[in-house]
Amino acid sequence: MASGDTLVSFVPTDNHPPNANAATPDYRNGHPVLDFDQATVEYANFKSCLPRFYSGGGITATIAWSASTATSGNAKWNVAIERIEDEGTDIDADSFATAQTATGAAPATSGAIQYTAVALTNAQIDGLLVGEWFRMQTSRDASHANDTMTGDAELVGVELRET
Amino acid sequence: MAALTDPDRQDIADAIARELSTLRLVLGAMTKADLRAAINAADAWADANASSYNTALPLPARTVLTAKQKNYLLEFVLRRRREVS
Repeated sequence: MASGDTLVSFVPTDNHPPNANAATPDYRNGHPVLDFDQATVEYANFKSCLPRFYSGGGITATIAWSASTATSGNAKWNVAIERIEDEGTDIDADSFATAQTATGAAPATSGAIQYTAVALTNAQIDGLLVGEWFRMQTSRDASHANDTMTGDAELVGVELRET
Repeated sequence: MAALTDPDRQDIADAIARELSTLRLVLGAMTKADLRAAINAADAWADANASSYNTALPLPARTVLTAKQKNYLLEFVLRRRREVS
Protein backbone atom coordinates (compact mmCIF):
# COMPACT_ATOMS: atom_id res chain seq x y z
CA MET A 1 0.00 0.00 0.00
CA ALA A 2 1.08 3.56 -0.37
CA SER A 3 0.81 7.18 0.52
CA GLY A 4 -2.74 8.46 0.73
CA ASP A 5 -4.32 5.17 1.65
CA THR A 6 -6.89 5.26 4.44
CA LEU A 7 -5.65 3.35 7.47
CA VAL A 8 -8.66 3.64 9.74
CA SER A 9 -11.56 5.98 10.37
CA PHE A 10 -13.37 6.92 13.56
CA VAL A 11 -16.79 8.35 14.30
CA PRO A 12 -17.92 9.95 17.58
CA THR A 13 -19.50 6.74 18.85
CA ASP A 14 -16.06 5.10 18.71
CA ASN A 15 -14.85 7.46 21.43
CA HIS A 16 -13.45 6.02 24.64
CA PRO A 17 -13.81 9.12 26.81
CA PRO A 18 -11.10 9.95 29.34
CA ASN A 19 -11.91 10.22 33.03
CA ALA A 20 -11.57 13.99 33.04
CA ASN A 21 -12.30 16.77 30.56
CA ALA A 22 -13.98 14.52 28.03
CA ALA A 23 -15.60 15.98 24.95
CA THR A 24 -19.37 15.88 25.28
CA PRO A 25 -21.42 13.53 23.10
CA ASP A 26 -24.15 15.36 21.24
CA TYR A 27 -26.36 15.05 18.19
CA ARG A 28 -26.75 17.47 15.33
CA ASN A 29 -29.71 16.66 13.15
CA GLY A 30 -29.19 12.99 13.90
CA HIS A 31 -25.43 13.10 13.36
CA PRO A 32 -23.53 12.00 16.45
CA VAL A 33 -20.89 14.63 17.26
CA LEU A 34 -18.45 15.31 20.08
CA ASP A 35 -18.56 18.83 21.46
CA PHE A 36 -15.24 20.47 22.34
CA ASP A 37 -15.58 23.51 24.58
CA GLN A 38 -14.22 26.95 23.72
CA ALA A 39 -12.66 27.55 27.15
CA THR A 40 -11.63 24.16 28.54
CA VAL A 41 -9.28 21.77 26.74
CA GLU A 42 -11.31 18.60 26.22
CA TYR A 43 -10.31 15.20 24.88
CA ALA A 44 -11.59 12.23 22.93
CA ASN A 45 -9.73 8.93 22.61
CA PHE A 46 -10.08 6.40 19.81
CA LYS A 47 -8.54 2.94 19.77
CA SER A 48 -7.60 0.79 16.80
CA CYS A 49 -4.92 -1.49 15.37
CA LEU A 50 -2.43 -0.16 12.83
CA PRO A 51 -3.11 -2.02 9.58
CA ARG A 52 -0.46 -4.39 8.25
CA PHE A 53 -0.30 -2.44 4.99
CA TYR A 54 1.08 0.69 6.67
CA SER A 55 4.53 1.24 5.21
CA GLY A 56 6.06 3.79 7.57
CA GLY A 57 5.25 7.01 5.75
CA GLY A 58 3.72 8.80 8.72
CA ILE A 59 0.07 9.38 9.52
CA THR A 60 -2.20 12.27 8.66
CA ALA A 61 -5.26 12.62 10.84
CA THR A 62 -8.00 14.55 9.07
CA ILE A 63 -10.58 15.82 11.50
CA ALA A 64 -14.02 16.55 10.08
CA TRP A 65 -15.75 19.09 12.29
CA SER A 66 -18.33 21.79 12.36
CA ALA A 67 -18.82 24.85 14.51
CA SER A 68 -21.77 24.67 16.84
CA THR A 69 -22.65 28.34 16.38
CA ALA A 70 -19.66 30.25 15.03
CA THR A 71 -19.22 31.36 11.43
CA SER A 72 -15.72 32.78 11.87
CA GLY A 73 -12.61 32.22 13.94
CA ASN A 74 -10.29 29.24 14.17
CA ALA A 75 -10.24 26.01 16.13
CA LYS A 76 -6.85 24.50 16.99
CA TRP A 77 -6.77 20.71 17.03
CA ASN A 78 -4.21 18.45 18.66
CA VAL A 79 -3.62 14.79 17.85
CA ALA A 80 -1.40 12.43 19.84
CA ILE A 81 -0.69 8.71 19.52
CA GLU A 82 -0.19 6.18 22.31
CA ARG A 83 1.39 2.90 21.30
CA ILE A 84 0.09 -0.19 23.09
CA GLU A 85 2.72 -2.75 22.22
CA ASP A 86 3.25 -6.37 23.30
CA GLU A 87 4.30 -6.44 26.97
CA GLY A 88 5.15 -2.77 26.88
CA THR A 89 2.85 0.10 27.70
CA ASP A 90 1.06 -0.18 31.03
CA ILE A 91 -2.49 0.92 30.28
CA ASP A 92 -2.99 1.94 33.91
CA ALA A 93 -1.54 5.30 32.87
CA ASP A 94 -1.65 7.41 29.74
CA SER A 95 1.52 7.55 27.66
CA PHE A 96 0.68 9.63 24.62
CA ALA A 97 3.51 11.00 22.54
CA THR A 98 3.80 14.74 22.00
CA ALA A 99 0.70 16.06 20.28
CA GLN A 100 0.89 17.52 16.83
CA THR A 101 -1.39 20.34 15.86
CA ALA A 102 -3.26 22.12 13.07
CA THR A 103 -5.66 25.01 12.95
CA GLY A 104 -8.82 25.16 10.87
CA ALA A 105 -11.26 27.95 10.18
CA ALA A 106 -14.93 27.77 11.02
CA PRO A 107 -16.99 27.40 7.84
CA ALA A 108 -19.02 30.47 6.90
CA THR A 109 -22.18 28.41 7.36
CA SER A 110 -22.81 26.89 10.78
CA GLY A 111 -23.39 23.22 10.08
CA ALA A 112 -20.99 23.01 7.15
CA ILE A 113 -18.02 20.72 7.71
CA GLN A 114 -14.37 21.72 7.82
CA TYR A 115 -11.61 19.18 7.18
CA THR A 116 -8.47 19.93 9.19
CA ALA A 117 -5.42 17.74 8.64
CA VAL A 118 -2.89 17.09 11.41
CA ALA A 119 0.31 15.52 10.11
CA LEU A 120 2.40 13.15 12.22
CA THR A 121 5.69 11.83 10.95
CA ASN A 122 6.60 8.21 11.56
CA ALA A 123 8.80 9.42 14.41
CA GLN A 124 5.84 11.21 16.06
CA ILE A 125 3.57 8.19 16.48
CA ASP A 126 5.13 6.85 19.69
CA GLY A 127 7.07 4.13 17.86
CA LEU A 128 3.88 2.46 16.70
CA LEU A 129 4.39 -0.56 14.43
CA VAL A 130 2.03 -2.44 12.15
CA GLY A 131 -0.25 -4.87 13.89
CA GLU A 132 -0.04 -3.03 17.19
CA TRP A 133 -2.93 -1.44 19.02
CA PHE A 134 -2.90 2.25 19.69
CA ARG A 135 -4.99 5.09 20.95
CA MET A 136 -5.36 8.40 19.19
CA GLN A 137 -6.10 11.32 21.45
CA THR A 138 -7.85 14.27 19.87
CA SER A 139 -8.29 17.55 21.67
CA ARG A 140 -9.19 21.13 20.97
CA ASP A 141 -6.47 23.45 22.24
CA ALA A 142 -9.09 25.87 23.50
CA SER A 143 -6.80 27.91 25.73
CA HIS A 144 -4.29 28.62 22.95
CA ALA A 145 -4.18 32.12 21.48
CA ASN A 146 -4.67 30.72 17.98
CA ASP A 147 -7.99 29.15 18.97
CA THR A 148 -10.26 32.11 18.36
CA MET A 149 -13.59 30.51 17.56
CA THR A 150 -16.53 31.08 19.90
CA GLY A 151 -18.67 28.17 21.03
CA ASP A 152 -18.20 24.45 20.64
CA ALA A 153 -16.34 22.67 17.89
CA GLU A 154 -18.19 19.50 16.94
CA LEU A 155 -16.12 16.55 15.82
CA VAL A 156 -17.95 14.56 13.17
CA GLY A 157 -15.28 12.01 12.27
CA VAL A 158 -11.57 11.37 11.85
CA GLU A 159 -9.76 9.66 9.01
CA LEU A 160 -6.23 8.37 9.48
CA ARG A 161 -4.34 7.92 6.24
CA GLU A 162 -0.74 7.23 5.39
CA THR A 163 0.95 10.52 4.60
CA MET B 1 -20.18 48.25 42.49
CA ALA B 2 -16.82 48.19 40.76
CA ALA B 3 -16.27 46.87 37.28
CA LEU B 4 -15.95 43.09 37.03
CA THR B 5 -12.57 41.43 37.18
CA ASP B 6 -11.00 39.90 34.11
CA PRO B 7 -11.83 36.33 35.22
CA ASP B 8 -15.43 37.35 35.89
CA ARG B 9 -15.71 38.83 32.42
CA GLN B 10 -14.18 35.66 30.96
CA ASP B 11 -16.76 33.60 32.85
CA ILE B 12 -19.48 35.60 31.10
CA ALA B 13 -17.92 34.94 27.70
CA ASP B 14 -17.69 31.22 28.44
CA ALA B 15 -21.24 31.08 29.74
CA ILE B 16 -22.59 32.87 26.68
CA ALA B 17 -20.69 30.52 24.37
CA ARG B 18 -21.95 27.46 26.23
CA GLU B 19 -25.53 28.63 26.13
CA LEU B 20 -25.40 29.56 22.46
CA SER B 21 -23.80 26.22 21.60
CA THR B 22 -26.50 24.36 23.51
CA LEU B 23 -29.21 26.27 21.69
CA ARG B 24 -27.20 26.39 18.43
CA LEU B 25 -27.84 30.10 18.10
CA VAL B 26 -25.44 31.64 15.61
CA LEU B 27 -23.80 34.76 16.99
CA GLY B 28 -22.49 35.94 13.63
CA ALA B 29 -18.92 36.55 12.56
CA MET B 30 -17.56 37.00 16.08
CA THR B 31 -14.34 35.60 17.48
CA LYS B 32 -13.60 35.00 21.15
CA ALA B 33 -11.74 38.30 21.22
CA ASP B 34 -14.69 40.13 19.67
CA LEU B 35 -17.06 38.68 22.24
CA ARG B 36 -14.74 39.58 25.10
CA ALA B 37 -14.40 43.14 23.80
CA ALA B 38 -18.19 43.50 23.76
CA ILE B 39 -18.47 42.13 27.30
CA ASN B 40 -15.71 44.44 28.50
CA ALA B 41 -17.50 47.41 26.95
CA ALA B 42 -20.87 46.44 28.40
CA ASP B 43 -19.41 46.05 31.88
CA ALA B 44 -17.48 49.31 31.60
CA TRP B 45 -20.68 51.05 30.51
CA ALA B 46 -22.59 49.57 33.45
CA ASP B 47 -19.87 50.75 35.80
CA ALA B 48 -19.74 54.24 34.34
CA ASN B 49 -23.52 54.64 34.46
CA ALA B 50 -24.21 53.07 37.83
CA SER B 51 -24.88 56.42 39.50
CA SER B 52 -27.18 57.45 36.66
CA TYR B 53 -29.21 54.28 37.16
CA ASN B 54 -29.38 54.90 40.87
CA THR B 55 -30.62 58.45 40.31
CA ALA B 56 -33.29 57.18 37.92
CA LEU B 57 -34.83 54.97 40.58
CA PRO B 58 -37.70 56.63 42.43
CA LEU B 59 -38.00 56.82 46.16
CA PRO B 60 -38.34 54.75 48.25
CA ALA B 61 -36.57 52.16 46.06
CA ARG B 62 -33.48 54.33 45.71
CA THR B 63 -32.85 54.37 49.42
CA VAL B 64 -34.45 51.12 50.54
CA LEU B 65 -32.93 48.68 48.05
CA THR B 66 -29.35 47.54 48.45
CA ALA B 67 -26.92 47.84 45.54
CA LYS B 68 -27.25 44.12 44.95
CA GLN B 69 -31.05 44.33 44.93
CA LYS B 70 -30.90 47.21 42.44
CA ASN B 71 -28.74 45.08 40.15
CA TYR B 72 -31.21 42.24 40.58
CA LEU B 73 -34.05 44.52 39.56
CA LEU B 74 -32.19 45.73 36.49
CA GLU B 75 -31.31 42.14 35.57
CA PHE B 76 -35.01 41.21 35.53
CA VAL B 77 -35.91 44.24 33.44
CA LEU B 78 -33.18 43.48 30.88
CA ARG B 79 -34.11 39.80 30.75
CA ARG B 80 -37.74 40.65 30.06
CA ARG B 81 -36.72 43.16 27.40
CA ARG B 82 -34.76 40.39 25.68
CA GLU B 83 -37.67 37.96 25.91
CA VAL B 84 -40.19 40.33 24.34
CA SER B 85 -37.85 41.72 21.70
